[in-house]
Amino acid sequence: MSLSKRQRANLLRYFVYAATLIALALLIFIVDWSKLSNAMFKWRIIKEQFPDILTKAARNTLIFTFFGFIGGLGLGLILALMRLSKVRPYRWFAATYIEVLRGIPLLVTLLILGFGVPIATGWTWPNMYVQGAAPLALVAAAYIAETIRAGIEAVPRGQMEAARSLGMSYSRAMITVIIPQAFRIILPPLTNEFVLLIKDTSLISVLGVTEGTRDLAQFGRDGVGKFANATPLVVAGLVYLILTLPLTQLVAYMERKAKRVRR
Amino acid sequence: MKRFRTVAATFAAVALVLSACSDDSESSPDAEFTTISDGKLTVCTDSPYEPFEWQDDDGNWTGFDIDLLTAVADEMGGLTLEVIDQPFEGIWLAPAAKKCDIVGSAMTITEERQEAALFSDPYFNADQSLLVSADQAETLVDAASLAGKTIAVQSNTTGETYANENFTDSTIKSFADATALFLALESGQVDAALQDLPVNADRAMKNTDLAISATFTTGEQYGFAVAKDNTALIEAVNAGLAAAKSSGDYAEIYKKYFGVDPE
Repeated sequence: MSLSKRQRANLLRYFVYAATLIALALLIFIVDWSKLSNAMFKWRIIKEQFPDILTKAARNTLIFTFFGFIGGLGLGLILALMRLSKVRPYRWFAATYIEVLRGIPLLVTLLILGFGVPIATGWTWPNMYVQGAAPLALVAAAYIAETIRAGIEAVPRGQMEAARSLGMSYSRAMITVIIPQAFRIILPPLTNEFVLLIKDTSLISVLGVTEGTRDLAQFGRDGVGKFANATPLVVAGLVYLILTLPLTQLVAYMERKAKRVRR
Repeated sequence: MKRFRTVAATFAAVALVLSACSDDSESSPDAEFTTISDGKLTVCTDSPYEPFEWQDDDGNWTGFDIDLLTAVADEMGGLTLEVIDQPFEGIWLAPAAKKCDIVGSAMTITEERQEAALFSDPYFNADQSLLVSADQAETLVDAASLAGKTIAVQSNTTGETYANENFTDSTIKSFADATALFLALESGQVDAALQDLPVNADRAMKNTDLAISATFTTGEQYGFAVAKDNTALIEAVNAGLAAAKSSGDYAEIYKKYFGVDPE
């Protein structure tokens, strides 16, 4: 019995559906749900996480992310322009900065900047927010610089040529014509960067946390110690999700709008 | 019919194996407990936490807990020690999750933890102590002199609880691991570290810029922990511990890491 191409494709699809159903059924069977909910979804403990997890922990996570991102964006833009510059030392500096900060794990950068700088200079960080957000911004800048550079390079050459032929200076053309278009192109990868940054803030607690500066992940970990149960960590994970979802939806909306304008 | 015979043969084989097993355990009274991997005692520990557990330059596990557990495992019918590195938060739940057989991580026996795990006889008396920069060893000695200053503690340790209860006028900064805690002290980000005496003593020995300015007797004792229902294993561990003490192994290990004879 020979099957037509279409029949074969259908057969394969049914097979995939069936396999998925079987896998789901197995999952439901294998998982000990009462044990799982006892260890990770204890209602009594979930209730105790609120409202502090939102008013304190999520607030701190957002503060770290916000300053990390703003700093990273500003510095990243400068680095991207340096990388594209005609001046060779600028290009060298930007390339070295990006390679080094991108290649070293954030955890190590945090420790080096958070403790190494005070040891080397005798200067101490004014507070936890600066101590945590500054290294985050410096590392984010390295990634964002590459994203922005790619965006600027993706703007058609003719745009710059047209702007220059209208009598604009190079920097004027860059600022008013090229960079705005580049940002439209890099909106999706930039969102990605922001979301990654939200989660990277969970590493800042390695520098030590006081009662008032605990971020979401540390709040969850402390809860695990306090209740001897994993529920607080699961709740913290869900709050991260709640923080990122509206953001990604907003960007999707902005992208749709940008597409309409272009047409 | 043939099929039935296969089943019967399987049953017979299984019965044979089972009886072989039970014969084995009857012959030696200590072998009633089981470990997650045969011939090995798997221990969960939060490394590095010198002088209790860390890896030396060649990656070998070393420290007071490790050496003592090696001796105890040997007393338990010649078991060898297998070490798993695990963050301290909630580490006492690891045996119940079948991650390891036992926790040996300089862990104080508390009522709270006893609700979630089964502890061995105490094997170490731990007092709390203050570690400060050597030039302040005379001044930063108690809660009054540390008012308005910052004290570093390790998250979810009894040191953290002690600091929160007794140093109410100081800012308490929690660190997930001891490495960052000491770096914070050495870099001047915090004024003192409140930590178990042996750990602080070890640090002060290695770094003469630091000194212990005060010790506090707390009645704290360290114990090993196994899963809440694993009485067979804890009995074997206690027997091994007693044997190590009477054979002089315990005193020898104690002297090796703390430089003095046990009390």
